[in-house]
Amino acid sequence: MTVETTANRINLYEPHEWKHPTKVAGVTWKNPVGTASGTFQYAAVRWFYDVSQLGAVSTKGVSPVPWEGNPSPRTAEGPASNINAVGLQNPGVDHYLVDDLPKLKEAGATVVANVAGHSDDDYAAVVAKLADSAADMLEINVSCPNVTHGGMSVGTDPVALAKLMDRLRPMTDKPMIIKLTPNVTDITVPARAAVEHGADALSMINTVLGMRIDIRTGKPIIAHVTGGVSGPAVLPIGLVAVYRTRTVLPDIPIIGIGGVDSGEKALEYLYAGANAVEVGAAALFDPVAPLRVARELDDLLDERPELAAKLAAGKTWR
Amino acid sequence: MTATFTPTYDVVDEAVAAGYFPPRHPVDITAVETLADRVVRLTFRDPYIAKHARPAQFVNLFTNDPLMPMPRPFGVSEVHGDEVSVIFAVVGKGTAEFAELAAGDTLQVLGPLGRPFKTKQAAHYVLVAGGLGVPPLIYAAQHLAADPATRTTAVFGYRNEHFADRYVEPFADATASIDESEGNVITLLDRLEAAGSLHADGLETVVLSCGPLPMMKAVASWTAKRGLACQLSMEQRMGCGYGTCVLCTVDTVDGRLKVCSDGPVFTREQLGWGE
Repeated sequence: MTVETTANRINLYEPHEWKHPTKVAGVTWKNPVGTASGTFQYAAVRWFYDVSQLGAVSTKGVSPVPWEGNPSPRTAEGPASNINAVGLQNPGVDHYLVDDLPKLKEAGATVVANVAGHSDDDYAAVVAKLADSAADMLEINVSCPNVTHGGMSVGTDPVALAKLMDRLRPMTDKPMIIKLTPNVTDITVPARAAVEHGADALSMINTVLGMRIDIRTGKPIIAHVTGGVSGPAVLPIGLVAVYRTRTVLPDIPIIGIGGVDSGEKALEYLYAGANAVEVGAAALFDPVAPLRVARELDDLLDERPELAAKLAAGKTWR
Repeated sequence: MTATFTPTYDVVDEAVAAGYFPPRHPVDITAVETLADRVVRLTFRDPYIAKHARPAQFVNLFTNDPLMPMPRPFGVSEVHGDEVSVIFAVVGKGTAEFAELAAGDTLQVLGPLGRPFKTKQAAHYVLVAGGLGVPPLIYAAQHLAADPATRTTAVFGYRNEHFADRYVEPFADATASIDESEGNVITLLDRLEAAGSLHADGLETVVLSCGPLPMMKAVASWTAKRGLACQLSMEQRMGCGYGTCVLCTVDTVDGRLKVCSDGPVFTREQLGWGE
């Protein structure tokens, strides 16, 4: 991946008046570009740019207690992709509430707090603690492929997902985003289940299940054996998920995720029917990728006033 | 590919002027040399990295192939003026691509990254490295050569060719190296101790190490038995290199820490080794 020529013409550090906001479940984002959970840690990213410039930041999933995640090696490269098996290592929701969240709010960021769990009780424990927090939105991760309980096992089972939603929905008035997995036959099935049971928005896609094998040893490269594929390779998979979901659910806000590393690719998601996008793996290839995508998209939307007006009004192209 | 100097560094200057760390940016390659079978030394011009890099810090290099988007991290081996060198082995397609670059080509980089060796105290630093763990210790020798109160002894182990001795010799006060036909770095450390060269007058002996895991564990054990301070620079399969993705962890007494941003340097005590 080379830095495109436009990137060298945009000074990411000059003050910028954002021209094209979007609305996700009633929350205004100053532009339609956020960070994807799992690739955003404020303590690391803050050295590279002002995170309040993004539409929103979706923070790394937090669990009721600290999780140590999976053993190393946790990553391998795939064609035009990264494969990760972190297993949601995080210092827990209590740490998040006294560290990351107040720091991000002080920095002026719109914060999507991503919620992880191994069980319904785990999710409920985290949502209870975030219900009255400073987080602007909650994102329920029912799509992580790297944990043996919770995560993707919920997001691939519409009945389990509906049951979880029924438990979480009454706990908070905060907009609740459900992050879905592409590792299903038809993503519109869990999407409908989430929406019918109270989801305010959907985000898609989480990573695609994958692996690599070391031909010198004949063994999987990643200690966890399988991981989640992200990066440029998954762009078409994310696009079709958004497009199909928009077809069957015309009104639910959707955040498109998967393979976004330029304004042009963000635009594809918006034309597929997304209200916003999130940038994930591209931040592994360049720390400022999310901000660069946002700036490129801001200019591309100048030339597309009809789309820009729809986004600003909380509507979508399709 | 052609490269022009001024636009290359706009993005670095813009970031630094705004108080931020430079993002990934293109640099001009000034030299690519083969040091031994599949061992390559690559030098590029980057005033920012040249000014700020400290021993054991690394740079992420990016291939120009969109099928290989992941960063390749390499420890800085030397800095001369505004030129920065790394030494790496050709182990796959990404490193093969780097090896085929030449002076005048460009390359994308991010850095310097990671926490360096702690070397502020005047001491006798024994730089123990093996194989492709050698480059960061060359830079440690270069960095410490500027401090007249400090003494350095390089102790390098190779599989066969002693490819890096000539780079460390100008900087280290003493250099010893060995290959597998004769022994390993522990062989050299034992000899050093027997010759009474481990301790320099009035200076504490501090071991800095980088190399294959079994070698570093042996070094940790050797230093623990003698009560010597030991800092180890770890390697792990990495993602971002700056602490955001949590792909490169190592198990420590304080839990799973990130090699890229909590390290790559950890003390023997942190790793719980050699006790």
